[in-house]
Amino acid sequence: MVGVPFINPLSLEGREMVRQLGSLEDLTHDNPELIGIVTRSKSQDISDDQDIPRNHLELALKRLEWYVKKRNNPNFNYRKYAFLFQGDIEKFDTISFYLLSQAIGVKFGPNSRESRLMAESQGSLIQNRLEELNTRNREEIVLKALQELLSQGTLKWTFFEDLLSSRRIQLSDLVLDQGEVIMDQDDFRERLGPRLHHRDPDKMYQLLIGEELRELILIQMVMQQTENYMAEVHEKSRLMVEPNPLLLQLADGVTEILTQPTPSYTGTGKVARQSYRGPLNREAFPPCVKTALEGIKSGGRNDAIVLFITPFVSYARLCPDIFKQNVTVRVSDKDPQLQVVHQEVLPLIYEAAERCVPPLFEDQPQEKININAKIGFGMHSTLKLENEGETKWYTPMSCEKIKLHLPYLCRPDDDCKKIGNPLIYYNRKNWILSREQAESGDKKEDEGSSGEEVMENQDNDWIDV
Amino acid sequence: MEFQRATPEERRLYYREEWDVKQIPRFIRDSLYQREFGFDHHGRGPNDRYRTFRNEDHLRKFMRYRTPFAAYTSVAFYQKPNRREGWIKSELVFDVDAKDLPIRSCACDSVCELCLDQAKNIVSDLKDTLTSDLGLKEIYMIYSGRGYHLRVQDEEVLGTDSEVRSQIVKYLVGAEVPRSEYGQEGITYNLEHFAIPFGYHQVFTQRIKQSILHLTMETALDDVNKKLLKDVIKNRHLLLKDQWGPFRQAIGPIRYKRLTKGLAFTNLGLVDAKVSIDLKRILRLPSSLHSMVSMKCTEVKNLNTFDPFQDAVPQFVYERKD
Repeated sequence: MVGVPFINPLSLEGREMVRQLGSLEDLTHDNPELIGIVTRSKSQDISDDQDIPRNHLELALKRLEWYVKKRNNPNFNYRKYAFLFQGDIEKFDTISFYLLSQAIGVKFGPNSRESRLMAESQGSLIQNRLEELNTRNREEIVLKALQELLSQGTLKWTFFEDLLSSRRIQLSDLVLDQGEVIMDQDDFRERLGPRLHHRDPDKMYQLLIGEELRELILIQMVMQQTENYMAEVHEKSRLMVEPNPLLLQLADGVTEILTQPTPSYTGTGKVARQSYRGPLNREAFPPCVKTALEGIKSGGRNDAIVLFITPFVSYARLCPDIFKQNVTVRVSDKDPQLQVVHQEVLPLIYEAAERCVPPLFEDQPQEKININAKIGFGMHSTLKLENEGETKWYTPMSCEKIKLHLPYLCRPDDDCKKIGNPLIYYNRKNWILSREQAESGDKKEDEGSSGEEVMENQDNDWIDV
Repeated sequence: MEFQRATPEERRLYYREEWDVKQIPRFIRDSLYQREFGFDHHGRGPNDRYRTFRNEDHLRKFMRYRTPFAAYTSVAFYQKPNRREGWIKSELVFDVDAKDLPIRSCACDSVCELCLDQAKNIVSDLKDTLTSDLGLKEIYMIYSGRGYHLRVQDEEVLGTDSEVRSQIVKYLVGAEVPRSEYGQEGITYNLEHFAIPFGYHQVFTQRIKQSILHLTMETALDDVNKKLLKDVIKNRHLLLKDQWGPFRQAIGPIRYKRLTKGLAFTNLGLVDAKVSIDLKRILRLPSSLHSMVSMKCTEVKNLNTFDPFQDAVPQFVYERKD
């Protein structure tokens, strides 16, 4: 049976382990006990000494490396990380978790891609660790970990406000009655059983709530607490004179892992193509973007131009594969002199603003500042590199958000069906168009036409990685 | 009854002879000094914003002398309402506009008795769900002049952010088809939404039932063609007795899936979601005049007995000569 910190390092027991810790410097020294656990792990497949984490710091990085590799490559060697799933690594793992969270909190802060990845990796680790357990142990540890998290008697849905706000769970995932979340089997039987006809309440409980919902809530709560913890560390670090160099060293290790080129793979395990990158291709814009670019009537102009078009156009032009990236990206990483921003991105946004009725900047010139803010350059009337980072570069709204905020823009076409974000639509459509173009080029070539169009097609950035 | 624009003289009559500041619901009067007020003086939109009133008397005088075309108050409570700064909390609101209902059995261009009645039924359903599922109790209903507002004052939801509110909206209107496949010990079970008489499944069942009962051959639903629409209308009588199984069978399981998906998407239009998720929205002030249609924005104490054509018509309308 594993302990609660193995599943939730932020539990009371986990916190106690950290409290009993000696000097931080000791964590950089080789630890024979840890090395022993790693090398004796069940089903391990480590043939290179380099793959053995020798101390807490290295173990912390291995945790993250495991997640990044697993996420990006379905063919990666799982057995190289078998030690992460050994219950006896709990003590080392818990301390590594805190080190990693603190390093990310200090260096990258909350709402960064790094912190999100950290929380995601923790969720994925819990999921995989639970899957390694037998049914009885799995049920027991989930109940024990949840008991501490849900200490109150009745559980109101508002208790999950954080999880709902971060969309880690959907309100519709929960079984609600009179404002309370039904999690307990007896409760379910008593309160909802009488409403069921010709169905066994216990069976229904198992299907609708049971282990699955309990595990979902446990995992999501730990992920949320991990994010909150990093935000807390970040706040505290701002008051400190100098963060511990060990944490900064670890943060550099995090950057190294996350910036390693990570090809993405298709569902069949083949290397996927890179996203189209180049001048904006209006033909590939989704219907919502096309409509917004035509201009919006008073009432919906600000949201459409500032919140929707600005992030979409900037990412589509500069970083269309943002959702595959592991690290926080700034505009200047992609356009160091801001030439593309000035010559292509802003003109297109301003053009759309001009087409609004009445033209957006005519009565609301301050929205130009808001546009600058949404691409990360703070609340200033001109775009200056020195202001970059004062605000966040907003990622494009998801289809779900568009349906709520800007319902009049959502007129889906056939290509919209399987995507959840207009930027994914743009990437996919570009791929379809370039494939069609290549096919028609091949055809024309077969028919004896000039090869000019084929050459033109080869100009874009569609390369196999 | 014909909806007619109120003249400046009629507005003056209303605010000087009929209106009383005490008609503003207490939940607003008690927090007057924390709210932003907005006014539309000429029928061109609320461009007189950032107004604040220290007490009821100041507001009373303003209304009597300025006789605005429309008056609004923020759903938000601020430390500095005159600058919209220091946000404290916001009411949770839902706006059901009869004119914008996604599925209407009437064919009117704007608002008529039929669609106002339909809006009233939707409000009643939404209120039931807010109470029975979300456990909220302090809910006020306002007739807005062309539809209804639901204004929730329960302290536990006033601090929630836009994301949580968007989840509440989606839950309330049934904006997503509930999950139907459940697995246990390697076996997959299919449980359609209508087989589960509680929680979100039940909400979804109730919402799409109402939508199906109001469908016409002119209704446009995503991915639902005329043939499917015709079959749905032909078989919908089964739903009056909640015979969902036979209804699904008559439609066919694949087409039923398309139908529920189309309806879920349409359900999002039952309320104006932007109003619910905007924490700094201004809403029409209850007791004020909706001058565009010459009706009073009125608090509804009893939805069952409320009739807008009796209870929300200002006196001057009865005195009109034409």
